[in-house]
Parts: sequence; C-alpha cells; structure tokens
Amino acid sequence: MKLKICHMYNDVLNLYGDRGNVLCMQKRLAWRGIDCEVVRLPVGEFMSLADCDIVFIGGGQDFEQEVLLSDLHRGKDSEIIAAVNDGVSFLTICGGYQMMGNYYETHDGVKCDFIGAVDLYTVGAKTRMIGNYKYKCSDSVGGSTVVGFENHSGKTYLGAGVEPLGKVLAGFGNNGEDGTEGVHFKNLIGTYSHGPLLPKNPELCDFILLTALERRYGIGELEKLNDSAEIAAHDAMCGRIQ
Amino acid sequence: MSLRAIIAIILCKALKTFSLLVKRGGTAMPGRFALAVCPDLLGRLAKGVKVVAITGTNGKTTSARMVEEAFMDEHKSYFANRSGANLISGITTEFVMNCTLTGKPTKEYAVIECDEAAAVKVFPQLKPKVIVVTNLFRDQLDRYGEVTHTLDNIRTAVKGTPESVLCLNADCSLTSSLALDLPNRVLWFGIEKGASPSHERSELSDASHCIRCKAEYEYDYISYGHLGSFRCPKCGYARHKTDFAVTDVVEQGINSSTVVMDMNGDKRIVTVNLPAIYNIYNAVGAACAITAMGMSRDAAVTALASFTCGFGRMEQFALGGGTKMMLVKNPAGCNQVIDFLQNIKEKFILIICLNDRSADGTDISWIWDADFEGLSALGGRLQKVVVSGDRAEDMAVRIKYAGIDEKFIETERNYTEMVEKIASQSLPVFIMPTYTAMLELRSEVIRKCGGKEFWE
Repeated sequence: MKLKICHMYNDVLNLYGDRGNVLCMQKRLAWRGIDCEVVRLPVGEFMSLADCDIVFIGGGQDFEQEVLLSDLHRGKDSEIIAAVNDGVSFLTICGGYQMMGNYYETHDGVKCDFIGAVDLYTVGAKTRMIGNYKYKCSDSVGGSTVVGFENHSGKTYLGAGVEPLGKVLAGFGNNGEDGTEGVHFKNLIGTYSHGPLLPKNPELCDFILLTALERRYGIGELEKLNDSAEIAAHDAMCGRIQ
Repeated sequence: MSLRAIIAIILCKALKTFSLLVKRGGTAMPGRFALAVCPDLLGRLAKGVKVVAITGTNGKTTSARMVEEAFMDEHKSYFANRSGANLISGITTEFVMNCTLTGKPTKEYAVIECDEAAAVKVFPQLKPKVIVVTNLFRDQLDRYGEVTHTLDNIRTAVKGTPESVLCLNADCSLTSSLALDLPNRVLWFGIEKGASPSHERSELSDASHCIRCKAEYEYDYISYGHLGSFRCPKCGYARHKTDFAVTDVVEQGINSSTVVMDMNGDKRIVTVNLPAIYNIYNAVGAACAITAMGMSRDAAVTALASFTCGFGRMEQFALGGGTKMMLVKNPAGCNQVIDFLQNIKEKFILIICLNDRSADGTDISWIWDADFEGLSALGGRLQKVVVSGDRAEDMAVRIKYAGIDEKFIETERNYTEMVEKIASQSLPVFIMPTYTAMLELRSEVIRKCGGKEFWE
C-alpha cells in the first residue's frame, strides 16, 4: 500500500512551518507500515494530479503572490479543479485556502481572480486576525476539536450551501463574523489554521489519511497509534485558549 | 536644552537609579517615561555622540559585543545598550544615563544595538556615523510581519539619515537591496566561495525570488539559509563585490574559529572568540564597522579574538560537565545551532526551552521550519533531549516527528530542578532557549554557579 502526496508550491507557499503537515502525514503513514511518496511541485513545473491521493497547499507571503497567480493560470488551475471534483483529498491552508475560492478583493477594491474550485471568496480587511484559536470540526470531518494559530487579514465568506470545516470556539475563523471556520467540499479541506496544523491535531490528520486510503484501497479503519505526546500538546493549548 | 528636556532627563535618571536600588531590570521603563515628557529627547541627546548602530534579524547582540570590545581595548570614551534593551525606550535610557543633567553627553561614542522594527524611530534621531545590517531572515511573523516588511522598515529608517555609512551583508539579497535606492556610502562584507561551507540549496529559503523582478535567483555557493552568491538571471541584480571578506576558514572549533579575513586587500589571520559560521559573519561585519568608526585593522583583529559574548549567545557556564547556552529565536538561527551540534564529538544532553511570550513571538510554528531532523543524525552522542518552557509539549511533538525515539525525550518544567539535575551529572549540556526562557533559566544558572544578572 502506498499513498502519493503532492506538496504544491513548496517553494513559495511555506511561510509558517507548513511543511510540518506533510512531515506529519508521512510519519503517521510510516508508523503504520504504509508507504508514502511525497512529490514537490514548485512554481514553473507541471504534473498531473490524477494519480495523487493527497494534495497539500500552504500559506505564503504577499510578495510572492504575483509569481503564483500567473503560474496557476498556466494550467494548474484546471488540474486542481478536476482533482477536487474527482475526490482527491486536499488540505489547503491560509493563502492556499483562499486560492481555491473565486476571488480575493483587497480592502481598497482591487480584485484578483482565483481558481474557483470551491464557491467562496475573500475580502481583505485592514486589521489582521492574529492569535491562537480553536474550532470544533463538523461531524462529517470527524467532529474533533482543533487547536491552531491564525494570522490573516483576508475575511473569507462561503457561498450558499457550502459547508464550513467547523465552528469557531475561540478566535476569528473565516471572517470573525459568522462563527464559521474553513471549508469542507468533497474531500477538500480549507482552513486558516496555519503552519503545523496536523501534528497537534492527530484526529484530523488521520481523517485525511483515512479518506485517501478509503478512496484508493477501500480501507475503512486505521491502526491506532500512541498519541500521548500529540494529545498532551493539543490539550495544553485547548485549555489555554478561552 | 529646553526645560521639558531637562525634566525628562531628571525623571529618567531618578527612575533608573530607583530600579537599580530595588534590583529590578528597569532598562526600558525610565526611557519610556522620559519620551512621554519629551518626545524628541533621543535626537537631542544623540547630538555630539558618534554612534555605531547595529540592526538585522540575527547577530545584533554578538556583533555589538565585538565592536564594543574594540572601543574598550582602545580606551575610547563610550557607552553601549548592553542589556538587550534595543527599542527606543531602552536606547533613550542609555543616552540619559550617559549625559549631564543639562543633556550634555559625557561619552564620545555609543555602540547601539537596535531592533529592526524600532529602527524607523531610532535611526533618524541618532543619525549614526555607521549602521551595520547583519542579515534579514523570517522572524516572529506575528510581530514583524513578512520579512520584506522588515526590510522596508529599515529602508525607511536609513532614509532619515543619508550621511550614515552602511555596512551591509553582501551575501544577503534582502539586506543588499538597501543599497539599490539609498544614497548612503556602503561598505560590503561577506564570506567568499573558498570559505563557504557550501550548503545545498535548502527547500526553505527566506528569499528564493529576486527582490526586484521576482525571477528565481541562481547561486554559485550558499553559506547558509539564503546567504551566498545570489544572482538574478533576469534583471542582473547580484551579490556586490566585498570590501571586508572571509576568504578561508582555517579551523572551526567548539569554542572559536580561525579564519583568513581580507580587510580592503589586507589579509589577516583572525581568531573569532565564538564558534559557528554565523559568528564568522558577525565577526566580518564587526571588523567592517570597527574600521568604519576610525579604528585600526589591528584593533579589529584584537577585539574579535577577545570579546565577551552576550547573554545566552554560546555563553558558557561552569555547571555540571560544562553548560553552553545558545539562544534560538527563528529557523535560520536555530538551524545554525543544530549544525554546530554536529561538531560535538562526545556524548551530551540537549535542553530545549520554548516560550511563546511576546518577546519570543507568540506563534511557535517556526519550530517546524527548523531542521530538528539534524538531531537524529547525532546518533548515540545525543543522550537525552529535555524539553521545557511554556510550550514544552509542542517541542516534544516536534522532536518526536524529527525522528528521536520518545524514550529519549523528557519534560522538566521547573528551572530550579533542572539546574540541580545539570549540576549533578558529568555530561556536557547544551541549552537552546528562546529569549524569555533564556533570561529566566540564566538567572537560575548563575544563582547556582555565578555570573552577572542582565541589568548589571
């Protein structure tokens, strides 16, 4: 058994320890004796996502956004849309999450088109939403409580009928207004919990792995691991964030 | 001086004296009150003082200690903001403590370490004779924002003082870009190809694309992080020829390095009194600044061989089997410390103290960008990893995923207990603390084995 993970834009979308998520998925597969191949897909290169099981896209700096947009519109956009609709698992964070939507509008009205894989859009705010936060995932994503750190100025709004990833328990989430956090569309997850989201939230990591394994191999259950260190880190922050 | 300035000076001196009496740090508080009374106080006091200011992401404190050593050896009349109070308030306190009640400076020179974000307010007031920019890396994004934002801050700061001579790191594409649109005279320092440890291009670069035209840089060599012989294939922006450069590394020891330094064509063998490649960068930048301040090359060579390190910067303590404290605060610096550990030949214990207070950065995501995987390459030499600090649990998870077996990972939250444990065993101990953890743990260490408190 083997899963193929694509770390897209590892060269520019790697701002906040994002690679911790890929490392986490790799390790948790290896500990269960499941092989895993990580393919990095930087700006300027192209590959088909059809045989990928999981695609990870992180967050980035504004500085590199231009580089990224022109690259996206050279064919990666339609490749992503096809893979999402095909049920490939996606984990997209912060900038990568916003990019899945229809557009981003800056606070002074400049609009830039994103790929429209999911019906959502983002509007730039003047003040950044920064800090530790937590949210409760909806039951369709396993229902676990996630602790993370958000740092974004974009406010994201979901289209009608689009399901959020969960409900904010403390912090801002998508926009600081409607209590939603992230998005869950087919097997795509989008979230503002940047950087190392998965290491301290092993339940969410296993949910993503299991979804991919189920799609590829029809596996319905994962072997339990000793997660005492991960749970201790999760619980310590869960208690602190009020 | 105006009456307002004199009142501010008296207030500041009184508050500082009081905080010394009650043995509290109080490095920033007196200056903050003084500035509230007289907002342009720093500019007034800095007139008539020849200042060398040091800023940049990593190496500020160490570079400042190197430069200060030259002033001390040459018996110059100077002062320095030695306790790491590097915001405008702390710098103001130092200037007030080195002037008369009527605001006349009592010293001729000042060696000032300045926070990157604070430079905007500080530089235009200080109008330094020399400004050193050590390097720019991603650092505490929740506080500074993106690295290009920090760069813009420094550029704006230097715009307010066009007469200052800049000493810039030629190997850092971000730092070097300051010269593109500033009129200041520039002296360049760096490490040449023959002396560079020739790292592979790492997956994580803080500056992979051209600051001018956004094409991807090409390199002949990389010394670490994004530092090296960058060159943009599209617009031609490239590493500048150096005035001060390390051309060869003769020896890299556990406590010092010996290098060949080319100072404006004059090649010298130089001993740097701290180990690791990043301190070689600090040394060549400091040598550049020392001569730019009008002192001799001999003075620079002597200072680099004999300076005392700043608190927690590879600082050694006679505790247990020997203890070294190595401050970490961002991926670039942390990777340098992990690289340094590869040179340790004997068995040792590693302690990592991770705090997330505002001076550390409240976002600890950066620990996943640092290559802790390098610890698993140490094999049996790494006897144990002890995690501590406000975020000890997160650090334990990071170490676990770096490939260290959990049975070698221990948590110890109590610093007093930890110091007792260090004292009672014979293996050397290396401590990697973040800033606020360093201050707390250091107090505990010197209570046991002696040393200076940070306000002394």
